Amino acid sequence: MSQVSIFYLFVVLAVFIAFVFLLVGRSTRQVRDVAYRAADRMRKVFFFTLTGILTVFLGITLPRMPYPAHGQLPDQVVHVVGKQFAFAISETPIETDEQWEEVSSFAPPVKVSAGRLVEFRVTSFDVNHGFSLYAPNGQLLAQTQAMPGYVNRLRMRLSERGRYTVLCLEFCGSAHHRMRGVFFVE
Amino acid sequence: MAERTVVSPVWLGMEQQRWRRLTSTWMMVMLLLFPILLLLGAFMRIVQANLLPTLLPEWFYAVMTLHGLGMVGTWFVGAMAAVSYILTQYVRPSRKVSWTALGATLLGVVLLLATTLVGRFGVGWYFLYPLPFYPAGIWPTWATWAFLFSLAILGVGWTIWAVDLLRAIAQHYSLRAALAWHYIRGETEPEIPPAVLITTVSLISALSGFLAAVIILVLSFLEWAGTGFTNDALLMKNLIFFFGHVLVNITMYLGVVLVYDVLPRYSGRPWKTNRIVAIAWNTVLFLVLFAYFHHLYMDFVQPQWMQVLGQVASYLISVPAAVVTIFSTLLLVYGASMRWTLSSLLMYLGVMGWAIGGVAAVIDSTIAVNLRFHNTLWVPAHFHTYYLMGVVLMLLGFAAHFGLEVSERPENGRLAKLIAALFVIGGYGFLSMFYVGGAHSVPRRYAVYPQEVMQGVDYARIALGFIAVLFLGVLLYLWETGRRCALAFRTSESS
Ligand code: HEM
Ligand SMILES: [Cu+2]
Ligand SMILES: [Cu+2]
Repeated sequence: MSQVSIFYLFVVLAVFIAFVFLLVGRSTRQVRDVAYRAADRMRKVFFFTLTGILTVFLGITLPRMPYPAHGQLPDQVVHVVGKQFAFAISETPIETDEQWEEVSSFAPPVKVSAGRLVEFRVTSFDVNHGFSLYAPNGQLLAQTQAMPGYVNRLRMRLSERGRYTVLCLEFCGSAHHRMRGVFFVE
Repeated sequence: MAERTVVSPVWLGMEQQRWRRLTSTWMMVMLLLFPILLLLGAFMRIVQANLLPTLLPEWFYAVMTLHGLGMVGTWFVGAMAAVSYILTQYVRPSRKVSWTALGATLLGVVLLLATTLVGRFGVGWYFLYPLPFYPAGIWPTWATWAFLFSLAILGVGWTIWAVDLLRAIAQHYSLRAALAWHYIRGETEPEIPPAVLITTVSLISALSGFLAAVIILVLSFLEWAGTGFTNDALLMKNLIFFFGHVLVNITMYLGVVLVYDVLPRYSGRPWKTNRIVAIAWNTVLFLVLFAYFHHLYMDFVQPQWMQVLGQVASYLISVPAAVVTIFSTLLLVYGASMRWTLSSLLMYLGVMGWAIGGVAAVIDSTIAVNLRFHNTLWVPAHFHTYYLMGVVLMLLGFAAHFGLEVSERPENGRLAKLIAALFVIGGYGFLSMFYVGGAHSVPRRYAVYPQEVMQGVDYARIALGFIAVLFLGVLLYLWETGRRCALAFRTSESS
């Protein structure tokens, strides 16, 4: 589901809640007793419906966790290192500050093959940053944190060709909004 | 009529007057900080709308840090003060401790103002390790020190305060009884008012959160003192989000305490602890410890069982809230001979905002969804919903109740409805722009939107109009309630 359809789902639920509150609020214009027995039954129905719906959604969404599965090898590996305030993205490992400087300032953008399984190995040399994939049409597709001392592995198959932007999605200081990177899918 | 609405402490006379003075002081501090912090929020939207193109971005981030910490702190202390007052009906908390907490809070606020507005300390409200130690040339060393120091002062003051409230409860009921386990077994003696049960649950969680904060501070000081020791970024992240999550959640629960205690006074129906209420809040006590994992979904190295547990706990914790608190609120109001005053209106709307914000939160606590919503504007969208349209309304409702009860000045019913309408239109309008931003991939915490997410600029501009409407509502509210709280202060005995 895209972000926009999730947004609409939320709007429907929010309007429903507001509607119920409005109805109940207006009911006070005419004073009446509550049938507590019936209300208790309703509460039970509500409990089981809500728990049921939540369980179904857990069942649907938990298998879609984005974490890398064991026993499957990626077709291509891309190394990403964040550092105040740029991302260095390279097909060869980046281990020192000099390499990071070199890659982030001079290296040509990495090219990823469309439809293949790519693994982004993401880390940081200073604070936490957020590695994200913005598709050519501007939609945020996925993300993972760039954390000092750890490597987060994000696996993706990118089918749409074109220029992908990496924006920083974890607040990292005064130029956080200018921190970026770029790569191409071909 | 007036009889029914009064919160009467276990003791009357002098002691009651002193509690009124204490509570009105806290309420005035809260009502003074609120509009200032709101304007700082408006300032951020102005910057994001590109209306101040020459401003240096570090000012945005310093203001963001001040606004975030200021708001979280203000509503926490406001809720603690209001709940203490409510609890005086049942137990005897210490006034001295509360005054001390006020002193610590004011000192902390002054230090925080200096670190952010003079020192340009801009790390965001949860100061994610190791950012405070990487100023990138913006803030001086003293600012980091002053910040850690102010956190320590606030932490000590608030911990003592929470411990004292628990002590007061334990002296009267024993903590075990206060958790209402005997209701789960089917006994109803001793009677435990819901306010006592929920406060106990909240404060036990609060202490676990403060413990995490102490560990964070000690570990930070150790590293900062140059012992050559460096911290583990993942461990620090877990500690920080546990602390932040607990602090925010218990503020909400304390807000709910106010609803349980005050709303029945306006609907004329009782709201008592029973078996379901007891089960619900004990479940919350347990689940709140695990729900915080949802802040770390995008840290793929975190063990996977924690991620799964995070989603399951986040989903399930919504059940007791919905089935017990929200459902019971509706039952309390349905067909009741309700007196709709500023207080009862805001509290009722506050429960609605809590429900709506909760839905947005549960959506974002889905790992597969979080992959695309984490750290977008969806995040401020949902937490502003349950804060601004939830806890804040509950607390403003409490302050209105308190002002009305103590000053005994009748309020203007038309004005109350107008204020509520301005809050709803301005508030939800302002929030909708955060939600739309999140749905269109706009990142949170960007002083300037880059060209990929330029749509964020338009959303910020639209939000400004709604913020103006909300601000008008807040000014009218302050005129109504601020005056009454000030009167309550003047007419109550000084201690
Ligand atoms: C009309 C009132 C308010 C306005 C206009 C406002 C505005 C804002 C804005 C523009 C941001 C930055 C969003 C971004 O990440 O790009 C923000 C962040 C925040 N606000 Fe508000 N806000 C308001 C009320 C509140 C309230 C009532 C709270 C209660 C706790 C609150 C707590 C926060 C927090 C914790 C942050 C996050 C700061 C951070 O990212 O470090 N705000 N607010
Ligand atoms: Cu960054
Ligand atoms: Cu960043």
